[in-house]
Amino acid sequence: MSRFFVVKTTANQERLVANMMSMVAKKNKANVYSILAPKELKGYVIVEAESTEDLVKSIRGVPHVKGLVRGEVSFNEIEHFLTPRKAAEQIKEGYTVEIISGPFKGELAVVKRVDEARNEITVELIEAVVSIPITVKADHVRVVDKKEEVE
Amino acid sequence: MTEVACKSCKYITSEATVCKICGGRDFTKNWYGYLVIIDPEKSEIAKKLGIRYPGKYALTVS
Ligand SMILES: [Zn+2]
Repeated sequence: MSRFFVVKTTANQERLVANMMSMVAKKNKANVYSILAPKELKGYVIVEAESTEDLVKSIRGVPHVKGLVRGEVSFNEIEHFLTPRKAAEQIKEGYTVEIISGPFKGELAVVKRVDEARNEITVELIEAVVSIPITVKADHVRVVDKKEEVE
Repeated sequence: MTEVACKSCKYITSEATVCKICGGRDFTKNWYGYLVIIDPEKSEIAKKLGIRYPGKYALTVS
């Protein structure tokens, strides 16, 4: 029967910790079934294991593990990480966004169209002299203002 | 060495040729969330996501 535990890690080392733990778990014959590092959860990984003893065996000597969070979490509490909502579903026309990757990184833009199926949005850069619509992945922007534009 | 994810099964690999899990040929470097499946038979998470083989998987791909 699976139980779920939370391990505290150095920020941005979650994937490395997950990889190392899976190797250490195999080497130490620990009953660890999966390790989850959701992007929403900075500085933590969720470990699915048979028992606390198995968890402890799997972190032995692993760098960037900063400790265990006391207690357990239930499957219900972690389930929402497994089916994350698409970024585009959280963006609406008229929102102001900052582009966080690609050639327009750092630019502010206004959302003109949202394509949920492709998880893309079409935006116009605020600072541009001539506004040319550009299409970017919804994951590549950060919402800065949710006020919808008044025409 | 960039790790990419298979667009159909979300398996993460550094060889973007043919996915060894599902045979898919469409890979993306835009993937988010990280999951290491060690024992798919016993993992509740693997069951929930329909994952049948051990390995590294993304939670979302775009
Ligand atoms: Zn695949």
